[in-house]
Amino acid sequence: MNQEERLLLIDSLLDGSISDADRLRIEAEMIVDRSVRQEYYDRVKLAMLFENELAESPAFSPPISPANTKRTRWITILSGSILAVAASILVLVISGKTTDPSGEGNPASQPTAAGLRSGAELSASGFAVLNGQDDAVWTGTAFREGDLLPSGELHLAAGLAHIELFSGVQIVVEGECQFTIDSPMQVTMLRGMARAHVPEPAQGFRIKTASGDVVDLGTEFSVNVDHDGADVHVIDGKVELHPPGSDLLRLDAGASRRLAESGHILDARSQSTGPVGPTEFQDRVRQKQQRRFSQWSQWGDSVQSDPRVVAHYRFRSDRPQTRLIENLANHRSPLASDGTIVAAKRGTDRWGRSEGAIDFSPIGSRIRVDVPSEHRGVTLICWVKINSLDRWYNSLFLTDGHEEREPHWQLMDDGRVFFSVKVPKDETESQRPQPVFYSPSIWTPALSGRWIMLAVTYDVDREMVTHYLNGQPISSERIPDQMLVESIRIGHASICNWSEPMYRTDPDFVLRNLNGTMDEFAMYSGALSADEIMQWYETGNPNE
Amino acid sequence: MRPEVSSDEQAEFVALLTASQGAIALTIRALMPGERQVEEVVQQTNAKLWQKRGDFQRGTNFRAWASAIARYEVLNFRKQQARDARLTFSDELTRCIADEVPQMQDDLSDQQLALRKCLGELKTESRDLLLSRYRGDESISQLSARLGRSVGGLRVTLSRLRTALLRCIQRRLDSAEGLA
Repeated sequence: MNQEERLLLIDSLLDGSISDADRLRIEAEMIVDRSVRQEYYDRVKLAMLFENELAESPAFSPPISPANTKRTRWITILSGSILAVAASILVLVISGKTTDPSGEGNPASQPTAAGLRSGAELSASGFAVLNGQDDAVWTGTAFREGDLLPSGELHLAAGLAHIELFSGVQIVVEGECQFTIDSPMQVTMLRGMARAHVPEPAQGFRIKTASGDVVDLGTEFSVNVDHDGADVHVIDGKVELHPPGSDLLRLDAGASRRLAESGHILDARSQSTGPVGPTEFQDRVRQKQQRRFSQWSQWGDSVQSDPRVVAHYRFRSDRPQTRLIENLANHRSPLASDGTIVAAKRGTDRWGRSEGAIDFSPIGSRIRVDVPSEHRGVTLICWVKINSLDRWYNSLFLTDGHEEREPHWQLMDDGRVFFSVKVPKDETESQRPQPVFYSPSIWTPALSGRWIMLAVTYDVDREMVTHYLNGQPISSERIPDQMLVESIRIGHASICNWSEPMYRTDPDFVLRNLNGTMDEFAMYSGALSADEIMQWYETGNPNE
Repeated sequence: MRPEVSSDEQAEFVALLTASQGAIALTIRALMPGERQVEEVVQQTNAKLWQKRGDFQRGTNFRAWASAIARYEVLNFRKQQARDARLTFSDELTRCIADEVPQMQDDLSDQQLALRKCLGELKTESRDLLLSRYRGDESISQLSARLGRSVGGLRVTLSRLRTALLRCIQRRLDSAEGLA
């Protein structure tokens, strides 16, 4: 391949039009030849420079077309986010050098930092992480802990949310509250209460309201925006009020004032200092989780003495090196054996305890169990955190092989939950189709890495199979006539894998370990009611 | 719980993070050729770097640390996208890219200026052709139909223009260094 051919391939690689064969060719060249990689890097860089150029030079802007507006927007976001990070530094530099922080700390009005140009739209970045929440109800998208919060208006209908901005500013907002995160250094409050803790590098952080701005000079203050103004309380440090109609006013710790709609500064209407601060918030959440955790721990006792429980495994062990998982069920009916860990690693459980869960992602991972006797119906329950559904079949609980009257529980790669109990051969007919009870697809990439509770019941009396996700029934299906298995048996089985596959030649069949982590598994003889499954979820859910 | 980070350390971290934005974006782009969602991954990476700021050891190579996290975020992104294996570089090449790109000279502001000057030296039609390609408002076949040229011929022209531009940028950077 000569240089010109190589460059053509690199260009088509970068514009996404390359064929598979060409892709392999150019990749092979890149692996062995550093100069080819350099050619590739240069082209990548050129594309980035071009995109910056297009985003920032109106002269290059073409006539508006839908495709173009979409493209330009994300380039703007890129520049915006870079600028936003720089802005927090800049504020640091400036507040260090000048004695008159007259509110020019607003990043949008700053001169440009070296290496970064002005003109990018700061408001597009929306850089913040939801650090925690307490009974939070969001209107529109429901956010979870650790989510990035998007730009645009956010509406917390109830509860508290702890938000960490990229500048290090921490805010607790209390519903009912409407706001936008304009940049790591600016939040606009449309309505409601917020309390901000501003670390030193982020001094100059600004909360904008319709009746004026609040600029922090360090460290903690609250803002309560109502229909005709905003109360500001300084809890610690100093802030400046910037009303549109009169001079700015500096407030010290303990002081409070109101930015009135008229543009004037009045006495504060309420004495409330707003939501708790970020530190107290985290304490509160921790305490709450602690309470939930101890409730869950105690609740285990009642599960374990329930005579219907055949197996109850909580995967945490005081001896992390042990390969044994104790069956905690402790009544006198026949019980499943203790579990034995094969290949799997220890991982963090849903309560945040390291070594509290089992990570089944290494190939061959499983927990081996033995379940005696026969059961008139079953209930299977597990708490699991799935990375991705890599395999055609992703195991939850499977008996060895698949013999008559044995259950199989697994996830399909399209996100449906699969459950079946093999129907015995009829004396007259040799072969008949086996019924499989599928749930609708439960999987979205958003569930990746989240703890969820899955359950399934095989109810002999009602002749129904019901799938559950997080305590809620997601589908119920009647077991067809002649297909009802009144006595289920299990014997040797694996959690999160399948042993002794009979179709060894087909790798899709053989590799069935779940790419995920589990920290609790239970099996009951007979079908639990929907209320009982819900109780399992509510008691075991670490978050709400 | 996250280890406490003092405000001095935090300021230093923000400085490193800011100074490395070009390198981070470039690394992620190089790991995801032909994909549009680069910016999402850049944002995720920045957020992850920020979350993990307590883990960064002062005095060690920030870019190498950031690049390892960026590589992981690209992987993670692919997992979440029910990834297409075809679009992934081999482990070996991925590792090379993640090692090499962050260490490249990346003062983008000089290069940006140089690009602007070099674009000015091009013939109007060449400049428009390149800008139109990077704007992505027309596919290459639409472009070739509009200009009445073959797709293959157009690709060659574009490739040569890119090479010429890169040479021009390099020349300008070299001469600027010579003057300083």
